[in-house]
Amino acid sequence: MNTYDVIIAGGGVIGCATAYYLSKSGVKVLLLERDEIGVGGSSRNGGGVRQSARDLREMPLAMYAVQNLWPTLSDELGADVEYCQGGNLRLAKTPEHIAFLEKMVAAGKSAGLKLEMISGDEVRRLCPYLSDLVIGASYCPTDGHGNPMRTTLAFYRKARELGVLFITGEEVTSLKVKNGKIAGVCTRTETYYADRVLVASGYGSRAIAASAGIDLPMTKVLLEALVTEAQPKMFEQMLGTAAADFYGHQTSHGSFIFGGSSGYENHEYEKTRRETKSFTASSICRGILGYFPGLSSVNVIRTWAGFVDEMCDHVPVIGKADEVPGLYLACGFSGHGYGISPAVGKTLAALIEKDEYLLPLDALRYDRFVPRI
Amino acid sequence: MTKKIIRSKSPNTFTELPDDWIIICRCEEITKGEIRRAVYEGMSTPNEIKRYLRAGMGLCQGQTCSHLIRFIVARELGIPALEVPAPTSRAPARPVEMGVLANDGLKLQAVVN
Amino acid sequence: MERYDLIVIGAGPAGLSAAIEAASAGMSVVVYDENSRPGGQLFKQIHKFFGSREHKAKERGFRIGEKLLAEANDLGVKVMLSSTVLGVYENREITVMTASQVNHVKASSIIIATGASENMLPFKGWTLPGVIGAGAAQTMMNLHGVRPGKRVLMIGSGNVGLVVGYQIMQAGCTLAAVVDASPTIGGYGVHAAKIARTGLPFYTSHTIKEAHGSDRVEAATIVEVDKSWNPVPGSEKRIEIDTICIAVGLKPMSQLAAMAGCVMEENPLKGGVVPVCDEFGETSLAGVFVAGDVAGIEEASSAMIQGKIAGAASALRMGCISEDIFKSKCTEYRRSLEQLREGMFAHKNRGKPKESTDEGFKLSQSLLQRGFVADVEISHYPGVPPAEKRARGIVPVIECTQNIPCDPCQDACRKGCIKVGTTITKLPEIDAAVECTGCGMCVVSCPGQAIFLINECVEGDFANVSIPYEFHPLPNKGDKGIALSRSGEYLGEAEVISVVTSRASDETSMLTMRVCGELSMKARFFRAN
Repeated sequence: MNTYDVIIAGGGVIGCATAYYLSKSGVKVLLLERDEIGVGGSSRNGGGVRQSARDLREMPLAMYAVQNLWPTLSDELGADVEYCQGGNLRLAKTPEHIAFLEKMVAAGKSAGLKLEMISGDEVRRLCPYLSDLVIGASYCPTDGHGNPMRTTLAFYRKARELGVLFITGEEVTSLKVKNGKIAGVCTRTETYYADRVLVASGYGSRAIAASAGIDLPMTKVLLEALVTEAQPKMFEQMLGTAAADFYGHQTSHGSFIFGGSSGYENHEYEKTRRETKSFTASSICRGILGYFPGLSSVNVIRTWAGFVDEMCDHVPVIGKADEVPGLYLACGFSGHGYGISPAVGKTLAALIEKDEYLLPLDALRYDRFVPRI
Repeated sequence: MTKKIIRSKSPNTFTELPDDWIIICRCEEITKGEIRRAVYEGMSTPNEIKRYLRAGMGLCQGQTCSHLIRFIVARELGIPALEVPAPTSRAPARPVEMGVLANDGLKLQAVVN
Repeated sequence: MERYDLIVIGAGPAGLSAAIEAASAGMSVVVYDENSRPGGQLFKQIHKFFGSREHKAKERGFRIGEKLLAEANDLGVKVMLSSTVLGVYENREITVMTASQVNHVKASSIIIATGASENMLPFKGWTLPGVIGAGAAQTMMNLHGVRPGKRVLMIGSGNVGLVVGYQIMQAGCTLAAVVDASPTIGGYGVHAAKIARTGLPFYTSHTIKEAHGSDRVEAATIVEVDKSWNPVPGSEKRIEIDTICIAVGLKPMSQLAAMAGCVMEENPLKGGVVPVCDEFGETSLAGVFVAGDVAGIEEASSAMIQGKIAGAASALRMGCISEDIFKSKCTEYRRSLEQLREGMFAHKNRGKPKESTDEGFKLSQSLLQRGFVADVEISHYPGVPPAEKRARGIVPVIECTQNIPCDPCQDACRKGCIKVGTTITKLPEIDAAVECTGCGMCVVSCPGQAIFLINECVEGDFANVSIPYEFHPLPNKGDKGIALSRSGEYLGEAEVISVVTSRASDETSMLTMRVCGELSMKARFFRAN
C-alpha cells in the first residue's frame, strides 16, 4: 500500500537528516527524490559548519548542531562525515573590512557565541600561509567544516538501513490536500498517501508548496566552486573573507574546496542546467590568490555549479505550515543549510512526530513575509 | 529524465568475493569490494559512489575507472549497464594551476546589487 | 574577445581534415591540441592503411599526418599545440590553457575532434608496473623510440591488439602471446596472419587471471573461459613476461561535449558515451559538431571523412558555401564513408554469425580462432591461382579471405592481374589469363601483407616464395634460415635469394626465399639462423 506516516519530498541533506531522525523512532517514512540523493546544493556547497556570521534567527540551530550533534555524528551514522572543528577565520585586508567584521562579532557575541577579533599576526600564527596583506580577522574557535557529500549520503545510508523507503527518479509535482489537510503527494505517475508531508526540495519547494496555496519567496542563484589536487596539510580552519572574495577549506583528503563569485550570479536564475560560466573559476582563483599567493602552482581538478535557494530575507523557512495541517516546510537555506542540517533534521523530526519544539522556530515561520508598508 | 529506482534493501547479507581487493579507481585506490559494499548500502549511481567513496574523484576524473564502476554497479543492481547513468563531466578537462587559471585576461568589476 | 569562424578541438585526422575543409571554403580556422605534436593517432600509425585510394590506402599513417598538417598550414589554418581546451561554454566560447595563461576564444562553429581513450581491464596485479595500454605502448615505441619491455603479453585481439602486437615485434621485443576472451579473433584476419606466421600463439577463449611479480610484472596466468565467460578450473597457463598490454577497446573522449551541455547517449556500438548528433555531426547545441572517434569509435580513414563533413557543415552555417555545393560534397563524402562501413567487421554486421564471405566462400574458422588459414582451406579462395597455373610460372597468391574494404592490390599490378571491382569489400581475384611478371608490387602494396609470389618453376625440386618483410635487420642475399608455415611452424630449410626494397614500396621489402618445392603453398615466413 502506498500509505506512510510521513512523506519527505527532497533527498538532500535536510530531507535525509529528517528521515534519519524520524526512523530512529520507528516512524514509517517514504522519501521521494526526483534525481539522485544529494544531487543539489547538499553536494555542491563549501562544507562550512559555522555559527559565526549567521543571521541571529539561525543561531539556536547552529549552536545546537555544533554543541550536540556534529562532534558525534560520524560515530552515530557509522560513516566518516569528516567533521573538523578547526575554527573559522573571516579575513580582513582593509579597515573597512575590520569594521564590518567587528559588527558581525558583536552580533555573534550577543547570541552567546565565542567569537573575537584577532590581529594579522595572530591570524598568521593560526594559518601561516596567509598573505601579509591580511591585517586581521574574526575568529570563532568552535566553527569548522565537514564533507557535505558524505554527510548527506551517510544520513541516507543509515536511514535506509533503519527502514526508510527511498525512491529516486520520482518527482513530487504537487501536494494532495483533502478537506483542507495534507493527504499525500502526487508524482508524474503515482500518488503516495500520508497525513504528514515535509517539503525539503530546495528551490523546487516553491512549486510544490504553491500547489497547496503557499508561496515561498525564493530565487535561484547559480553559484560555482572548485576543488584542487591533494596537498600536504596546510590549515584546518574554515576560511571566508569580509570582502566575500572566496570561502573554503582544506579537506581531510588534502584537496582544497573553494567557492567565490564573479558578481553576475544573480542574473542566471532563468537557467535550468547547473552550468559553469567561462570566467567564474578564474575569478575565484584570483580571490584565493589574493590571500594565499603560495597556492599558485596547485592544480584545479574540477569546477562545478549549483543553485542556491535564496530566500528573500536570506534565512530558511522551517516549520509547520499551519494553514494546511500536516504540511511541513524546510527550504530556502540560502547557501548555509549544511552547517545546521543535523539540528534542522532533529528538530523537524521531533516536530513532525510529537509536535514538540526541540528548538524555537518562530523566527523562521513560513508566513513571516509581510509587506514592508 | 532520471530513471526511477526504488532503493530497497537487499534481503541477503553482503557477500565478499575473492576479487574484491582489486583496485578499480587507481587515482584514489578504491577497491571493487568497497564499491560493491557501497552499492549494497544504497549508493546506486556512479555520482553517488563518487561522492561517497571518492572513486572517480581523482586526478583523471574517472577517465580510467568510470566505465568499470558502471559495470560493477549494474552487476550489483542486476540491471543492464546501459541503465546506469554516466557520471557528470566538468571543466577543466585537464588539471590547471590556480595561477594559470587566474591569468585569463579578464578582470570584471563585481555588480553591486 | 578572440574570435574565429571555426574552432577545432584536436589536431588528429578528423580535426585537421575538418580544418582543411573549412579553410578551403574561406573560413578563419584555429585548431587546438593538447599535445606538443599534431596528428593525433596518425603519427603513431606506422602501418599502411586499408580502404581505397581516396581513403589514402597503402599509405602509412604518419605520412598521412604529415600531408594533412602541410595542407592545413598552406591554407592558413592556425594550429596551436600544447594548448589544452579546458571547457566548452555557452555561446560557443572555449577556454584554452597554454603554459602560463588561459585564453577565452569564441567561434561561430566548434568542431570537437578529441578522439578516444583506452579501456581498462582490471585483474589481480593490474596495478603492477609493466601493465600498460596498447596505445601507450604504441606511443612509447613509435613516437619516442622506447621499447615497452622485453617480453610482452597482448590482451585483446581486435585491430589495435594485432597491429600494436606486430609493431612490438618490429621494435625488437618478443611478443609472447595474444589473448582474447572471445572464441574468435576480433581484428582483421590478415593482421592476425602477419603475426601467426612468426610463430606467435593465439589464446582465444582465454582471459588473464593474474599478473605476478613483486615490484613489477614478472609473469602472468591466463585461464580458459567458457561460453558464459566463467573461468574453466584447471585450465590455467603461466606465461613468463615482463609487460602486459591491454587492448580491450577504445571509448570516445567526449567530456567536452558533455560539459558543454550536449545531449549525450550511451551507445555500445559507438564505444561509449557520445553526443547525439545528426548525419553532419551537429550535436544538440547549434554550431557544435563532433567528428572522428569522439563521435563513435571507427578508424582514422572514417575520422578524416567525418572531419570533412563537419567542416563543410560549419562552412554552410556561415554561408561560406552554398546549399548546393554542400549537398554534393556530402553526397560524395557519405558515399566514401559508407564504403568503409561495409564488410565483415562493420558495426552493422557485428554479432552476426560468421560462416561465409559475401561471395559465398567459406570463412576460415582456423583463421578466426587461431590466426592462420589452414593448408587445406587456402586453395578455395579466388586470390589463389589453381595448381595448373602455378605449375606454369611465377604467380601471385593472394591470401585475403575476409570481406574488408580494401583494394590497393588492384592498382598495384600494371598488367591488371588482380581484380577487386568497385565494391571494395570483395575478395580479390586473380585473372588466370594474365601473365605475372614477378615485379612484386602487389606483395609490397598489400597493407595486410597477404600477397606472395610463388615460383614453382625453379631448377631442381625447389620453389621460390616471395614474402613481404618489415623487420630489421633485413636478411641478405645468401642468408640461410628456416621457412615457417602460416601457423609459424618449422617447415624446412630456406635460403634468401633476394631482398628488394624500393622507394615505391615505402619500407616494405620483398624477401624471396628458396624452399623445397612441396612447400610452395605452405612456406610464408623466413627466420634467419
